[in-house]
Amino acid sequence: MRPLSRPLLVLLLVIVALLVAFPQLAERYYVQLATKMMIMGIFAMSLDLLVGYTRLVSLGHAAFFGLAGYALAVLQRDLGLVSLWTTLPLTLGICALVALLVGALAIRTSGIYFIMVTLAIAQMLYYFANDTRALGGSDGMFIGAKPSAEVFGLELFDLKNRVTFYYFALGALVASFFLARMVLASLFGRVIDAIRCNEPRTRALGFTTWRYKLAMFAIAGMLAGLAGYIGAAQDGIVNPAYLSWHQSGQALVIVILGGMGTLYGPVVGAFVLIALEDVAAGITEHWLLFIGVFVIAVVLLLPRGIASLPIVEMLGRLRRGGTPPPRPIPEAGDD
Amino acid sequence: MTEALLETRGLSKHFGGLAAVSDVSLAFEAGRVHAVIGPNGAGKTTFLNLLSGEMRPSAGSVWFKDRAITGLTPDRVARLGIGRSFQRTNVFTELTCFENCWIAAQSRLPSSLRFLRPANRRSDLAASAARSLEMCGLLARRDHAASALSHGERRQLEIAMILATEPELLLFDEPLAGMGYRESQDVIALLRRIAEKRTIVLIEHDMDAVFSIAHRITVLVNGCVLETGSVSEIQGSRAVQAAYLGAEDEP
Repeated sequence: MRPLSRPLLVLLLVIVALLVAFPQLAERYYVQLATKMMIMGIFAMSLDLLVGYTRLVSLGHAAFFGLAGYALAVLQRDLGLVSLWTTLPLTLGICALVALLVGALAIRTSGIYFIMVTLAIAQMLYYFANDTRALGGSDGMFIGAKPSAEVFGLELFDLKNRVTFYYFALGALVASFFLARMVLASLFGRVIDAIRCNEPRTRALGFTTWRYKLAMFAIAGMLAGLAGYIGAAQDGIVNPAYLSWHQSGQALVIVILGGMGTLYGPVVGAFVLIALEDVAAGITEHWLLFIGVFVIAVVLLLPRGIASLPIVEMLGRLRRGGTPPPRPIPEAGDD
Repeated sequence: MTEALLETRGLSKHFGGLAAVSDVSLAFEAGRVHAVIGPNGAGKTTFLNLLSGEMRPSAGSVWFKDRAITGLTPDRVARLGIGRSFQRTNVFTELTCFENCWIAAQSRLPSSLRFLRPANRRSDLAASAARSLEMCGLLARRDHAASALSHGERRQLEIAMILATEPELLLFDEPLAGMGYRESQDVIALLRRIAEKRTIVLIEHDMDAVFSIAHRITVLVNGCVLETGSVSEIQGSRAVQAAYLGAEDEP
């Protein structure tokens, strides 16, 4: 995990500033659309932790996205929990726990088998939700009330307000980004780097590598759960589509499109893809064709994603001194 | 006679009908360099893989400090204080030399499941990494990616990594293979320095190097121990000469 170069940091701050100003300038519809983008951004970023940083390609990441939505719906309907401060931690805890269980099975495999196992488990959850009457079957479940942000009778903010909800999602996105960066910069993150580069060597040095992979799987599952929680709260409904392999596949496309192993790349990818879908769907009913062509073009012209656009690359390479070194020196070299 | 740090008892490994290692019982004394030599296909690397946990033996046991470590996974063997190099140099090519040694030093922490504090605040690990780079003469290459190193330098980097894990016992699998004369001399000198404080099991084809570094030598042929002895005993052994060193070269 390298420190963000100053120009790149400035660019990201400008983008966040624009996102902060956005609801003041835009119509309601676009505020909601941008909220969706940010939710997808968190979801794709969480998948990037697995795909880009740990080289664990999961095709079942929607399991945790959907699980969070169902957890919120069930907590609200069956336990009568409406507070953000109880439902959010509970949901994240459930997602992390289930991710530990799923990961314990999936981590034993690698490569194509890991893809198949994660896909299979996500599909099991999909059909479980689809065929369980208590979970609303294929209709899904309503989430009647937005989580309330009340503390001792004092309402801190009101998620029923669309703009407030937008800022809530934005806050979650920024927090997720820094949380992920913190984890990647820690001692744990160093081991993840090593596993990605050469897992047998990492093991021969004395690291029990599956533990680290499993921990990363749980962290990614929990972050995906955060995205699912906000997504379901925004929609006011959760249905099996939340768990579907389309959802997993779209996140994977976004990660590759945006540039894996960067965290911000997948967020940009989510914005671009959803914006494009919205525009293309307004022009023609054959909009999926446009998306397909676009994805193919990006993959062909920018194999490392939108984050590898020459301008972003240049910003990323610029150092404080201004001269690009032969290879960016990671933070360890600085102390 | 000093105490055995590592011991194998009846160690065997079969691949189908092939006995790669059969019934090898050896004692490796603390503080010594014990070389294992033998013709190609004698089972030397397989033997090393059994010691380091990369492979599980078909029969027999491995004892380290009077504790059975048979069948332990490579990570657990490494944490007990046994470091190894691989026949095909095995480093993190995408990381810098410093980062390679850093992660090796980090492997000595009781746990790296630490998510909050930035790793680069650990100056103890940085110091340990720099120390092992210096010992292997790679300090000038500190911030170069391992992929940019020459073959010989990568070997030295791998040794530096192993040193950073502070092992008691080092397993070297042909550390001189594919090296030029100068590089070989450097690595031989390095191995000698390491041997001053630590125990080494050395697999090597370069006989001059083996005879100059090793205290004891075991000759492995077809997976079986042909003979074990001091350098002069092995050099004088007729059976070894016939099997390995080439008796016909004798005047």
